[in-house]
Amino acid sequence: MSPLEMAVTVYASLTRHLIRSLLATLGIVLGIAAVVAMLAIGEGGRREALRQIESQGVDNIILRSVKPVEGNSQQTTRSFTQRYGITQRDFDHIRNIFENVRLLVPVMDTRRDIFVGQQTTDIEAVATVPEFLEVTRCRLVDRRSRFLKPTDGQVLEPVCVVGVKAARRLFGHQDPFGQSVVIGNVSFRVVGLMESPGGGRLAGQYELNNVVCLPIETARALWGGIRVQMRRGMAEQVDYDFLFLSVKATGAIPGTAGRLRTYLRSVHAQADYEVQVPYELLQSARKTQRIFTIVMTSIAAISLLVGGIGIMNIMLANIFERTREIGVRRALGARKRDILWQFLAESVLLTSIGGGLGVGLGIATAAVAETVSRMGGDAGLKAVVTSESLLVALAVSVITGITFGTHPAWKAAQLDPLTALRHE
Amino acid sequence: MLSRANNPKTIQAPRGQPSGANQMAGSGTQPRGQPLIELCGLSKTYEAGGVQIAALRPTDLIVQRGAFLTVMGPSGSGKSTLLNLFGLLIRPTSGDYRLEGRTVSDLNDDATSAVRCSLIGMVFQSFNLLSHLTILENICVPMQYAGVPRARMRKRAKELLAQFGLEGRDGSRPMQLSGGQCQRVAIARALANDPSVILADEPTGNLDEKTGQEVLTIFQELHRSGKTIIMVTHNPVYRQYATQSVTIHDGKVAEG
Repeated sequence: MSPLEMAVTVYASLTRHLIRSLLATLGIVLGIAAVVAMLAIGEGGRREALRQIESQGVDNIILRSVKPVEGNSQQTTRSFTQRYGITQRDFDHIRNIFENVRLLVPVMDTRRDIFVGQQTTDIEAVATVPEFLEVTRCRLVDRRSRFLKPTDGQVLEPVCVVGVKAARRLFGHQDPFGQSVVIGNVSFRVVGLMESPGGGRLAGQYELNNVVCLPIETARALWGGIRVQMRRGMAEQVDYDFLFLSVKATGAIPGTAGRLRTYLRSVHAQADYEVQVPYELLQSARKTQRIFTIVMTSIAAISLLVGGIGIMNIMLANIFERTREIGVRRALGARKRDILWQFLAESVLLTSIGGGLGVGLGIATAAVAETVSRMGGDAGLKAVVTSESLLVALAVSVITGITFGTHPAWKAAQLDPLTALRHE
Repeated sequence: MLSRANNPKTIQAPRGQPSGANQMAGSGTQPRGQPLIELCGLSKTYEAGGVQIAALRPTDLIVQRGAFLTVMGPSGSGKSTLLNLFGLLIRPTSGDYRLEGRTVSDLNDDATSAVRCSLIGMVFQSFNLLSHLTILENICVPMQYAGVPRARMRKRAKELLAQFGLEGRDGSRPMQLSGGQCQRVAIARALANDPSVILADEPTGNLDEKTGQEVLTIFQELHRSGKTIIMVTHNPVYRQYATQSVTIHDGKVAEG
């Protein structure tokens, strides 16, 4: 029998009991839909995690000051000033000893409010150096823009560079160039607009598009290296809130991070720092992804096993019901293999239809999940349906049809023609 | 060994529009008087509960090309066993079955199917039409297995429908037809691949007398056009139309 005739025969057989055929595919539909939806959500999550990690710079090591838990610090009992975090000594040591570090970029959180009108905002003012732009993967927007220069800290007129989101909030539709941003009662003239293309965050914390950068020398000159926050008569001192270490080669990152941790453990009596290594996070994310894939594959396998057993059950019932038809076909000249192919093709067509419907349902489910998760106004889930996942889903449904259709089809082919003809 | 690929019958072009009895048979019609079927000591024994039951005792029989053979006998005598052996639906326990000069009783399953497809046409008492297919599609089934191209297959099926007075009923389902019409479709299906022999198992058994007579008339016309027909029947009246007749009692075949 030609493939065309086979297709016509199979179509006629399946449409004979359309509802039953569709119900038979239900297990496959739900199995494939679950796989496609979860793969889409998983892929979206994976890409978002990788974007976040990569936006911090895979070749960076980020050192962050962390305020120790109260009561752990001995200094607080003897002094009104709580000193913690990354010190100038750490900075100097890293700059002098760590030969693999290409750039060393300090960042200080000025802890000064920025106002729009009379209202404070969540825009962060950070003091840093010109290399900040490079290590954070930010870029300048507008031809007139420039970033901080080494000489900016020496001039009397303070300048700043504003993130695009911060600029929109501060100036609306007005041209930000030449305008001033008031930080701690000091006016800073805007000389540049910057943007983080991936919407990255500074060490995973501040949104880069929502910060205002000013020269670290200016900040020191204005407010000194000591951040004083009166609270029950105590003050805090942090030399640097963040240090970005840009390593010369990716291969050197694990070793450099190890050395850094060893050094910090030896000089810091308390856990007042945190070492973030995006490269390690990336590796970890990839490992998590592998585990996720294994879990997904297992779920898919179970779903399809259940769906496949359903298909096999229906096919066996089909064959029993159509035993006489098989006998007639054999009497009219069908070979065993014609019968085998006919029933196998029916099984594969059933699972393929199930797979197709499942893919559609899976895409719809992922889209609904994405929409629902964003209803609260948060970033929410992001579902990414890849062509590979669709191909895999369809291939798996075909394989399921072959796997679970072979036994019924073989059984049909082995029927004795005369016995089948006499079947009531 | 017969195979579909080298058997010219499997790819025969359909005949032109038949207008009379002579065109009914198609190219399966060969000069009469030559042996078409030769049985040499053919027997069939079944085993039931450890007991050997001789359904057909060793039989020698020659059916000439163009013959109209009736097979008669009481129920359980072995008529159907003989017909199933002719139709290659069962294998003989012993003996030799030659069809068109070739031994077909020891072929493998594929070759047996090829013989059934191209040399044998079967008509059943209960019609055995496939209820989910239209009558046109039912007639196409044997041609599908013979590898006839779709357009040619449908043309041939329409010709056969017209030949049996069912023109314009292509899209009807078997359940929409009367018993006589169903049997006509079944005969048309049996003729689809222009076989050498038509095997009919009590083709009028499920029909009333008048319709049965109409169906018998079709077989007579096929016989007149040169087709070889082997018909199992209970009705002794049909013997008068036969050129050859056998009677079976307890598996023993006797001429006449």
